[in-house]
Amino acid sequence: MDTLVAQYSRPSGQQEGYSQDEQQELLQLTPPLSLKFALPPIAQPSSWLRAMTDDYSNPNCPIKIAHGTTTLAFRFQGGIIVATDSRATAGNWIASQTVKKVIEINNCLLGTMAGGAADCQYWLAYLGMQCRLHELRHKRRISVAAASKILANLVYSYKGMGLSMGTMCAGVTPQEGPALYYIDSDGTRLSGNLFCVGSGQTFAYGVLDAQYSYDLSEEDALDLGRRSILAATHRDAYSGGYINLYHVKESGWVKHGFSDTNPIFWKTKLEKGEFSNVTSELE
Amino acid sequence: MNHLPQAWGRPRDDIYGAYNHSHLAPGQPTTHTKSPIVTGTSVIALKFRDGVVIAADNLASYGSLARFTDVKRLRKFNDKAVLGFGGDVSDMQYLDRHLNALAVRENYSSGSGAGEKASSTSAEASEEERAESLDNEGAGTGMAANNLHKYLQKLLYRRRSDFNPLWNHILIAGLSTPDPKVPDATPQPFLKSVDLLGTAFGAPSLATGFGAHLAQPILRRVVPDEEAVKKIDEKTAVEAVRECMKVLWYRDARSLDRYSLAIVTGEGVRLSEDERVEGQSWEFAEGIRGYGTQVV
Amino acid sequence: MAAIFTGAPPNSGPGYSFTQTPAPTSASEPRQHAFYPYTDNGGSTLGISSSNFTILAGDTRSTSGYNINTRYAPKLFHIDSADPSSRLVLSVVGFAADGEALAERLDTVVKMYRYQHGKTISVGAAAQRLSHVLYGKRFFPYYVHAILGGLDEEGKGALYSYDPVGSYEREQCRAAGAAASLIMPFLDNQVNYKNQYVAGSGVGHELQQRDPRPLERKEVEELVRDAFTSAVERHIEVGDGLQMMVITKEGVEEVYRELKKD
Repeated sequence: MDTLVAQYSRPSGQQEGYSQDEQQELLQLTPPLSLKFALPPIAQPSSWLRAMTDDYSNPNCPIKIAHGTTTLAFRFQGGIIVATDSRATAGNWIASQTVKKVIEINNCLLGTMAGGAADCQYWLAYLGMQCRLHELRHKRRISVAAASKILANLVYSYKGMGLSMGTMCAGVTPQEGPALYYIDSDGTRLSGNLFCVGSGQTFAYGVLDAQYSYDLSEEDALDLGRRSILAATHRDAYSGGYINLYHVKESGWVKHGFSDTNPIFWKTKLEKGEFSNVTSELE
Repeated sequence: MNHLPQAWGRPRDDIYGAYNHSHLAPGQPTTHTKSPIVTGTSVIALKFRDGVVIAADNLASYGSLARFTDVKRLRKFNDKAVLGFGGDVSDMQYLDRHLNALAVRENYSSGSGAGEKASSTSAEASEEERAESLDNEGAGTGMAANNLHKYLQKLLYRRRSDFNPLWNHILIAGLSTPDPKVPDATPQPFLKSVDLLGTAFGAPSLATGFGAHLAQPILRRVVPDEEAVKKIDEKTAVEAVRECMKVLWYRDARSLDRYSLAIVTGEGVRLSEDERVEGQSWEFAEGIRGYGTQVV
Repeated sequence: MAAIFTGAPPNSGPGYSFTQTPAPTSASEPRQHAFYPYTDNGGSTLGISSSNFTILAGDTRSTSGYNINTRYAPKLFHIDSADPSSRLVLSVVGFAADGEALAERLDTVVKMYRYQHGKTISVGAAAQRLSHVLYGKRFFPYYVHAILGGLDEEGKGALYSYDPVGSYEREQCRAAGAAASLIMPFLDNQVNYKNQYVAGSGVGHELQQRDPRPLERKEVEELVRDAFTSAVERHIEVGDGLQMMVITKEGVEEVYRELKKD
């Protein structure tokens, strides 16, 4: 009977609503961090995505994603210093002056954020999940090398899709000592003593390279981190806001404030006599 | 990497290929989407005290050619709602077939529709379903205009997300189901639109296509807000719509002087498909020189 | 999964460049319609949070190009309003259809959370889920700027703002949409007292920054009204009506006020 009916009746068109699977998916409490992404159903999704979102190549692109940064991290005898600015820009618009660009992956691992803000937030949160799973599986903390490799492999698998991130992973473990890795969305993963990332990196490198030594005292190291970011916020229009400062030790990381650049700038100028390019009196 | 800091962290040409402007502008063929070929122009509609008036001319254009002069672009759904289609005619016909199938399915499961009573429910309907449809009877079973609108919104949004849009701008006119939270609520006049992107909005008066420029200002003078809707009667509303059809016929080069007009009220739908623009006077054309600024 | 990885454009693909790209509207070419899946429906939203409440607001005009689609299209959505203890409001501005789809997705997420855990979701958790929902469309983004408002576990006002692909941040105040650049500097000054100094604290380097304090509900409502009446004067896509939702521990209260309709 059914076949007979089917013979004489045709569906009115393609299946319009959502399929059973899709409905199930919408209702399911999917793992909040998943690797399932919607793609535009066209031949070159990444080229399309870029056309929509790259505000550098086309300042009139419709969707502007938050960008622009100075971040730095360096190893020294007392651990690792991580410092960032806090400005996010979308085109010429300052989208926020209070971005937290140091992401606390867990209580002993830090990640920094440069490039697409959402990319960094999402993938570092995902990394946090993977690190916790590693701890549960192996009953010990993950090494920084392993953690950074998880992230590097992940973003490499999305290479060409339009992710944009330049991040540093910092942590101190008993096996490795202070360990610092740079990972970017091209898939690069480097270990090193000292990195600056973002549009203000050159300015930060200038200060950091001049003063850096592995044997710095804790206080000097913190000052150097702060001073490098200050230099970058002063010269790079895409950096600014607040200086976010962290110190990573074997026992975990310690936060050293989220402080406004402006008072720090004037303090540096008036008390130390630096930034003589700026006048302090109006004649 | 280049020497411009503002480019850092952005997609690099050597990895992603050059920035492709053509995604933003018309001018490239895509795999799914055809451009609309045979098209209908404006649909206009207006709410009044106890219903909605909706009208659309009977023309399907092929580019600038007035190709088919007897295409009905208003469609009844279940004698409760009327849809007016602007845009691609083949997509309209596809949606028409789809909605017919939907109406048949709906009427099987809810047991009322085209004015039937719930008692005539097909024998297959379970006891439970019948009880439910009887319960809802007071509220009006079957899909009302607001349900239909939501359905079409989802459908068109889904299609745009698949990059395979139905190239239509649709007005949905009818009466909404009463708000279940408000006791003794009555069905209210309902008028909303949905377009090929899935964008949906409602207003006291709506017009698609060229009508959004020509007819909407006239209609808004009649019903500036929801308050005004309660004050005007069917006659005023129909007159306003006829006036707009005339203006469109005067000024929209893709329009026709034959049109369909439907009035949806609590009693049902009155659809007339062979209206004519009457009382034409082209005297105003005498005074027109150039584009308006020219006087000689 | 494999489909995701094949998307990379070949480096030697058709070499588009600025000069080679055909001009968008040259009349001589055969005119083909590429499908562009977004539009901007204009409008603006803003949110301010304080010690025990959060206010979200948005104008109700919907535009396409220079046309006004309607004078009443809400941009604020009370999430899971069926739950009497729900204190979540989402505001979306940008492409209205994406905004509505997003609000419905979040509504489902919050409802499913309630059904499966037997309790109302916290703002923090909802905020993170919203971020993930947005990021789930990283490669085909929702063209919206979302702001989520609610009350946190301590009963303090909570406000989270998002970019189109899900980066988010908790803030005191945020304006989004067409008039964001007009409203945001005003809020910086009036809510966070940016560039305001303590009177009589001196001149030049002696000037002391005025410390922000939690605002009263009445003050905030006035700020919102001022922000919108001013934005209406200077932005064509903003106007018609002001929809405000005040979130307090008593519930979510909706206020509507007329704006200029020109």
